[in-house]
Amino acid sequence: MTRNSPCVAAALILALSLISAGCAASAKNQIFFGKTDPPRDNVLRYVSGSEPETLDPQIPDLQNEARIFVALYEGLAEYDPKTGEPVPALAESWEVNKDSSEFVFHLRHTGRFSNGDPITARDFVYTIRRGLSPETASRSASLGHAIKYAQAYNSGGQFVFDPDSKTFLLEKDFGEDEGGTTKGGVAARRPPPPLSSLPVTSIGDEYPPTPENKTPIADTPFHQLMHSAARIVVPGDPKKRNQALDGNPKLKAAVAGKKLVPVEAKDIGVEAVDDYTLRISLVKPAPYFIGMMPHHFFRVVHQRTIEQFGHAWTDPKHIVTSGCFRMEAWKPYDRIVVARDPMNWDAQNVRLDGIVFYMLTDIPTMLNLYKAGELDATYNHTVPPAWLESMATMKDFMDARETATDYYRFNTTKGPTIDVRVRKALNMALDKQALADWRHVQPLIGVTPQGVFPGYPQPQGDVFDPEKAKRLLAEAGYRDAAGNFDPAKFSAAEVELITNSDGSNIPFAEFNQALWKRSLGITIQIRPMESKTFHAEVAKLDYKGMSRTGWGADYMDPFTFLDLYSTPTGNNGTGWWDPRYVELLDEANRTIDHQRRYEILAQAEQMVLDAQPIIPLVVGTTRWMKKPYVKGMYPNPLTLHSWKWVYIERDPAKWDYGVPNMTVSDRLR
Amino acid sequence: MLRFIIRRVVIIIPMLFMVISLTWGLVRIAPGNFYSGEKKLAPAVEQNLRDKYGLDKPWYVQYRKVLWNMARFDFGDSLKYEGQSVNQILFRALPVSAVLGLSAYLLALLVGITTGTLAALRQNTWIDYASMTLAMLGISIPNFMLGPLLVLVFALTLFWLPPALWQGFPSRSIILPAITLSALYIAYIARLTRSGMLEVMRSDYIRTARAKGLSESQVVWRHGLRGGLLPVVSFSGPALAFLITGTVVVERVFALPGLGNYFINACFNRDEPLIIGIVAFIAVTILVFNLLVDIAYGFIDPRISY
Repeated sequence: MTRNSPCVAAALILALSLISAGCAASAKNQIFFGKTDPPRDNVLRYVSGSEPETLDPQIPDLQNEARIFVALYEGLAEYDPKTGEPVPALAESWEVNKDSSEFVFHLRHTGRFSNGDPITARDFVYTIRRGLSPETASRSASLGHAIKYAQAYNSGGQFVFDPDSKTFLLEKDFGEDEGGTTKGGVAARRPPPPLSSLPVTSIGDEYPPTPENKTPIADTPFHQLMHSAARIVVPGDPKKRNQALDGNPKLKAAVAGKKLVPVEAKDIGVEAVDDYTLRISLVKPAPYFIGMMPHHFFRVVHQRTIEQFGHAWTDPKHIVTSGCFRMEAWKPYDRIVVARDPMNWDAQNVRLDGIVFYMLTDIPTMLNLYKAGELDATYNHTVPPAWLESMATMKDFMDARETATDYYRFNTTKGPTIDVRVRKALNMALDKQALADWRHVQPLIGVTPQGVFPGYPQPQGDVFDPEKAKRLLAEAGYRDAAGNFDPAKFSAAEVELITNSDGSNIPFAEFNQALWKRSLGITIQIRPMESKTFHAEVAKLDYKGMSRTGWGADYMDPFTFLDLYSTPTGNNGTGWWDPRYVELLDEANRTIDHQRRYEILAQAEQMVLDAQPIIPLVVGTTRWMKKPYVKGMYPNPLTLHSWKWVYIERDPAKWDYGVPNMTVSDRLR
Repeated sequence: MLRFIIRRVVIIIPMLFMVISLTWGLVRIAPGNFYSGEKKLAPAVEQNLRDKYGLDKPWYVQYRKVLWNMARFDFGDSLKYEGQSVNQILFRALPVSAVLGLSAYLLALLVGITTGTLAALRQNTWIDYASMTLAMLGISIPNFMLGPLLVLVFALTLFWLPPALWQGFPSRSIILPAITLSALYIAYIARLTRSGMLEVMRSDYIRTARAKGLSESQVVWRHGLRGGLLPVVSFSGPALAFLITGTVVVERVFALPGLGNYFINACFNRDEPLIIGIVAFIAVTILVFNLLVDIAYGFIDPRISY
C-alpha cells in the first residue's frame, strides 16, 4: 500500500484544489448570493417545501401546502403582502356586530371559479360546512370551531329534543355547558351572553352604523334561530355521552327519554343571506375571527367538482380552483406548475404568468439552486445559523421578526416541576440573552412574541437572576443544613429535557444545559427523540421535567398564542389550566375597544407568566433569500406571500437592494 | 434448470410474507401516527381521522387487510397523500429511480470493467496504481459528500450543469446524480474485474489459448473476460436491484422524485401502506434479480449447471 501513496496524495491534492476553487468563487465580495439573471419567462420559481399531502385546501394545516393554496384558492380576505393582516379579497367589505360575535361579508359580484362559474355566498357556506364535516377529517377544522355549533357538528355531537314539548333542551337551563368543562368546583362567574345568542331586536341595534349607510341586512328565520338561546349538545358516542352526563345529574335526568338529534351541516352558523351576502354567527365574541379568513381552511372550493369526483377532485384533470392562478401540472415530489387564471376577477392586476413550486426540503440543495439562478426565492428558515455571517450582509437576504415563539414546556403534573418555585427557578437561571446572542435572535420575554402586535402591552416574565433561582430552589427543599441551595440535593434524574431531534434543537438544548450548569451547578439531562415519538410522549404528559416546542401564529392576533392554555389538553402540553384564565380571555374577546381588549389579554398573559408552565426562549426570525428582481414579496412575519402582487422586474435600476423588515414594531423603530 | 427456477420462485412467497409481516410490525411499534405532529389535533378531528382509516379496528383485522392487499398486489391508498394509491405512487416514482439507476449501472459497468481490465493487463504499472487509487477513493468517499462536491465544482463554480432537480430523460440534470451514484459501483467493479482477470489470465486455458496462436485481443475478449467477469456478474445483479429501487441519499441531495425519496418520507410520515408497498416492491426486485444472476451464471460459466 505504501507504494501507492504518491498517487493518493496527488488525487487528494487534485480534490482539494477543486474544493478550494469552489470556495474561492463564493467568497468573493458579492452583494448578492449567486446569479442575478431574471428568468426568461414571466414565471416565478419558488420552493413550497415537502410534498403537499393534498391540494384540497380544507384538509391540511401546514405551511408547505399553504404556500400553494394562496395561489390556487381565494378566500373572503387575503393576506396583506407586508403585514399579513386581512385585506378584502372575494369579500369587498364586511361588518362586525357590536360584540364581535357575528360577521356579515359582502361578496363582490365578479368572483369566478377557474371554470367560469360565479362564486356566491352559497359556495362559502358549502366550503365551511364541508371543512367542518367529520367525513372531511380536516386537520385545521378547529379554526372553524368559533362558529356556532361548528364544534358540535365536527365532533359528531347531538342535540336533545323533547318530543312532548317539541323543543330542544337549552344550555341556559343547565348550569354547565357541554356537561362539565368547568372543572375543579370553581364557581364560574357567568359572562353575559353574546349578542349572537340573544333574540334579534333590530339589526340596527346589533351592528354599529357604517359610514356608507348601507341598506340593513335582511333578518331571516335562520338568523333568528341562531339568535335564540344555545341548545345543549351531548357527545354522539354513547360511552363519552354517559361520561359527560355523569358529571351533571340534572342534565342526565333531563336527557333521559328524550330524542337525540345529530347536529348537521345545516345547523352551523353560516348563512347565505342572498347570493352575495354571507353571515357567520359565532359561539362567543371573537374579534380575531376576521384574521383567520385568509387561512386556506376558509378559501372557497367548487361544490359540483367535489361531488362529482370525490377524492380525485384535486387531480389536475378535474380540479377547479378559485385563486388568481389555476393548476397547470402536478408532478409529485418534483413540482407544481400554476398559471394565471384569466377567469379570476382581479386577473388584470396579476403580474406573473405563472409560478413553479418545487417540492424541496433539503436546505443546501435549495440554496445551491438559488445560487445557480434556478430558484428565485426560498421560504422561511432556509438560511442556517452557521451561514449567517456570510449571508446576512447580502442584499438579497430577507429577515423579519416572526409570529412564532420557541419555548420549553414544564410538565406541571409530575415530579419536581409540580412546584411553581422549581419552575420559576429553572426559568430565572437561564440566561436567555446569551442563548439569543448565540442564535442571532431576540430573547422571548413573554408568552406572545414581543413587537409583532402593534399596541399590545406585552407583560414581561422574570428576568435572569441565578441568585434568586437558588433561593427559590432552597425554599423548595433543595438545601443543605445551613439552608443554602445544594445542587447535590437536586435529583437530575427527575427533571430532564426532551426534544425532537429535528434541525438545531439538540445543539440549542446543549447550550441551555451548559447555561443551567453554570448558574445552578446542576446538569439537566437531554433526551433527544425522533419527532413522532416525541410528540406522542408530550401528548400523554409522560415526560419528566421539560419538553421543547414552538408555536407559529395561525392568524395575526396575540390570542393565537394565549389560546394554547385555554384547555388542559390539545396543544397546551403542560397540564397547567386555570378557569379564571379562560374567563379573562373570554372577557377580553367581548371587549369592543381594541386597546382595552389588548390590556385584558395582557393580564391573562401575565397569569401564565406567574404560573410559569413554560420557559420562554426566543422569538423566531424568518431568514430567507429573494433575488433582487423579484418585487412585491416582502419579509413579512408570516412568510406567506399573496402571489397576485408579486412580479419580476427586468430593469436593474428598479431592483430591490435590500428590503426592510416588515414586522411592525421593527419598522417603527 | 426449470425445476431450479420454479423452486426459487416458490421460495420468494414465504420470504415476502416474512418481510411484509416484519415491516408491518415495526411500523406498528413505532410511536406516533401519520397525523401526529407539532400541532396537536383537536380530539374530534383526531377521532374523525381514526374512523376514516379504520385505525381503531383490532390488529388482526388490520393485518389481514395488509396481507390481502399484498396478495392482490394492491397496497391500498396512502395515508398521507389524500386520494393517491400506493400503486400510483410506485408507478410514478419507479421510472425516475430506474432511469437514474440504469444510467449509473451502465456507467459503472463501462468504466469499472474497462479500468479493471486495464489495471489487470498492465499490472504494477502506473495505470494499475492510478486506477486502483481512484477505486479506493470511490469506495471511501460517501456519496453524500461526493454529490455536494460535484455540485460545488460543476454547478456552482463552473455553471456547466444544474445543481439539482429532475428535468426528465434525457437531460443534463441526470449527469451529476448518475456519476455520484455510480462512483462506489465503479470502484467495486474495477477491483472485482482486476482481481478476477488477474486470476484468469494466469490459468491454464489462457495459456492454451495463447499457445494455439490466438492474438492477445482475442485471448482477452473471448476467453479472459468470460471467466474474469464472473465475480462482477454476481455483484452486479443485486447492485442493479439496489440502484433502480431508489437511492435515498442521492435522490435527496439532488431533489429527484424517485422511490428513495418517497421511502424516506413515508417512514417519517408513518405512512404505513406506502412503507409496506415500497418494501414489498424492493424485496421482490432484489429476489428476482438474484434469481436472474443465478440463471446467468449457467450461461456464462460452462462449469456451472443446475
